[in-house]
Amino acid sequence: MENYNEIKINFEKFINTFKTDDNDLEFRKKSFANFISKGFPVSRDENWKYSPLVQDLKKFSHLNNQKTGINALPNELKENFDHYSIIFVDGVLILTDINDTGLVIKKNNSFLKSVKKAGENPILNLNNAFADQGYLIEVNSNTILTRPIVIYNYFSKNFLSNFCSSKNFILLNEKSNVVVYEKTIYDSSIEYLITSNTEIFLAKGSKLKKYDLNCNNKHSTIFNFVKANLDENSELEYFTFSENINSCRDESIINLNGKNCFANVNAIQLLRNNCNHEIKLQINHNEENTKSSQFVKSALYDSANAIFQGKIFVDSKAQKTDGYQLSRALLLSDNVKFFSKPELEIYADDVKCSHGSSSGSVDEESIFYLRSRGISKEDAKMMMINGFLGEVIEKITEDKFKNIFFNKLDHNSNHD
Amino acid sequence: MIDIKNLRASVDDKEILKGLNLKIGKGEVHAIMGPNGSGKSTLSYVLSGKEGYNVEGEIKFNKKNLLELNAEERAREGIFLAFQYPIEIPGVFTNNFLRTSLNSVRKANGKAELNAIDFLKIVKEKAKELNIGEEMLSRPLNVGFSGGEKKRNEILQMSLLEPSFVVMDETDSGLDIDALKIVSNGVNSLRDPERSFLIITHYQRLLNYIKPDFVHVLSDGKIVKTGDWKLALDLEDEGYGQFIN
Ligand SMILES: Nc1ncnc2c1ncn2[C@@H]1O[C@H](COP(=O)(O)OP(=O)(O)OP(=O)(O)O)[C@@H](O)[C@H]1O
Ligand SMILES: [Mg+2]
Repeated sequence: MENYNEIKINFEKFINTFKTDDNDLEFRKKSFANFISKGFPVSRDENWKYSPLVQDLKKFSHLNNQKTGINALPNELKENFDHYSIIFVDGVLILTDINDTGLVIKKNNSFLKSVKKAGENPILNLNNAFADQGYLIEVNSNTILTRPIVIYNYFSKNFLSNFCSSKNFILLNEKSNVVVYEKTIYDSSIEYLITSNTEIFLAKGSKLKKYDLNCNNKHSTIFNFVKANLDENSELEYFTFSENINSCRDESIINLNGKNCFANVNAIQLLRNNCNHEIKLQINHNEENTKSSQFVKSALYDSANAIFQGKIFVDSKAQKTDGYQLSRALLLSDNVKFFSKPELEIYADDVKCSHGSSSGSVDEESIFYLRSRGISKEDAKMMMINGFLGEVIEKITEDKFKNIFFNKLDHNSNHD
Repeated sequence: MIDIKNLRASVDDKEILKGLNLKIGKGEVHAIMGPNGSGKSTLSYVLSGKEGYNVEGEIKFNKKNLLELNAEERAREGIFLAFQYPIEIPGVFTNNFLRTSLNSVRKANGKAELNAIDFLKIVKEKAKELNIGEEMLSRPLNVGFSGGEKKRNEILQMSLLEPSFVVMDETDSGLDIDALKIVSNGVNSLRDPERSFLIITHYQRLLNYIKPDFVHVLSDGKIVKTGDWKLALDLEDEGYGQFIN
């Protein structure tokens, strides 16, 4: 058994210098103690069985979260459409508070705001112990934001620490509406661990569209955790595009707490080389007449690994639940691996739940059809793969972002 | 135009085409009829370069050895197969597919590729002639198309690519009477002294619209009888019994 001595020293040093109130300090200590009692996850743990993190976390015998190499975000990385921006560089949030009509964006200084009990998830405990950066987005009632919010997560070549943790809040008040686009850019080539923990609250009738682009990390190990709570008539549209991501777990828990709320979760895993990406998703139908949909597609080349664990939980009072889940993988080489573990746990009797999972190679009949029209074998294959993944992008309801992600796919075509 | 000699094709240990001979001259229309399972579709696949068959014999296409070319090369040389069962491809949009196809063929033949606007103009015009709604073009390829729509989409592709040798595999099956006329008109308007057709069908009715120069009977992997268009009439009356041992 690992004793985590170095990490204990790192934590002591961190909390001795970190300025905060007693409650927060207490919570951090408790979280850290919980982390230590279990240590890094192991594959014996059913929740972590297939996770790439089980192997990769071993690299982190000490955790240095000092702020190093702080730069500005290079201009060429900025989106050229009109938007509000939240910028992290090398794990540090660089933000001048935004207080626009109906919108507040500021640094998150009260980390305790919602998470009060230290839980079971060891990496989340680690995040709760160390998180010292984060944003808070609040949209006022009845505010429909036309400009999207873009969150940039940039790791520069000058980044020298090996650990950073953030804790963020997105709060949409009644009948408000916003699009949040988050993209992470990895320029640093050292080994580092990133944990992020984002809590989302959707009040009655509000609507959040969150689109994440996560491409080409080099040696980072990533744990992204999202928890969303949906009240009556609210809607979450959540799309993640993970391309060539190695050693990452994207974990989400979505609570459907109010009648007629809807979680629409879609994801693409496009992985080459020895990339290894895990999606873990749990949707809890806690109230009647709630709806969820999960649609995940994976295209795996070379010796890539993809994991999808999706669970639909239906509480006994959540009658008339509509839960849907589909995951499909294209295996484009003999050396790829795809693990899919769909789970249904249903305690209500009047529900409509379906799930399906399939994996296979590109359909040869279709390839022949395209080739018989003069399209080269390579192009035909690429058309099939992009068409396969494009079906997920089609679910995006904002045209601007639909185009951004379709362009990402076209870029994939020019890849080989 | 095309000269097939002693063509044999098998899958695993099953021999499907068993020494087939057929010669089609420039501008000619040939029809092939024959019982289910006699090898008609297999012939169409072997002609268009589908992989997975063990092929022996010879196919000369404009002096070229067709068997040395792969499927896309054959298409670019001017061979076109209208599929008996056009494939549904989710996620690949009909418009995109048609443009990629046309541009691949144009490029291989030294012609400039068409931009999206010029392409749309051409495709809309042709679609209209075939009574194909524009809305169909923005849908995924063949997905949710009715049987007749799929067949009309095949003819649309043919008229875009302007091939010199067309194989039509039961394009008439599943068409209603109006669609049959539209499709036949589409084919007839492409008839040209430089263009040949091989029409696979079970029904003499199609041949009333597209009059063939020759009719062949394919049975058990071989051509067992050849005649003019009247042979189709006889077959309609008498069936294939006389050709099956
Ligand atoms: N890939 C294959 N593997 C095994 N058998 C095959 C394969 N393809 C065709 N066959 C067999 O070869 C024979 C000829 O098939 P083909 O589809 O060419 O017939 P057809 O003349 O087009 O019939 P139909 O009139 O029903 O369309 C059939 O017995 C069929 O089952
Ligand atoms: Mg057939």
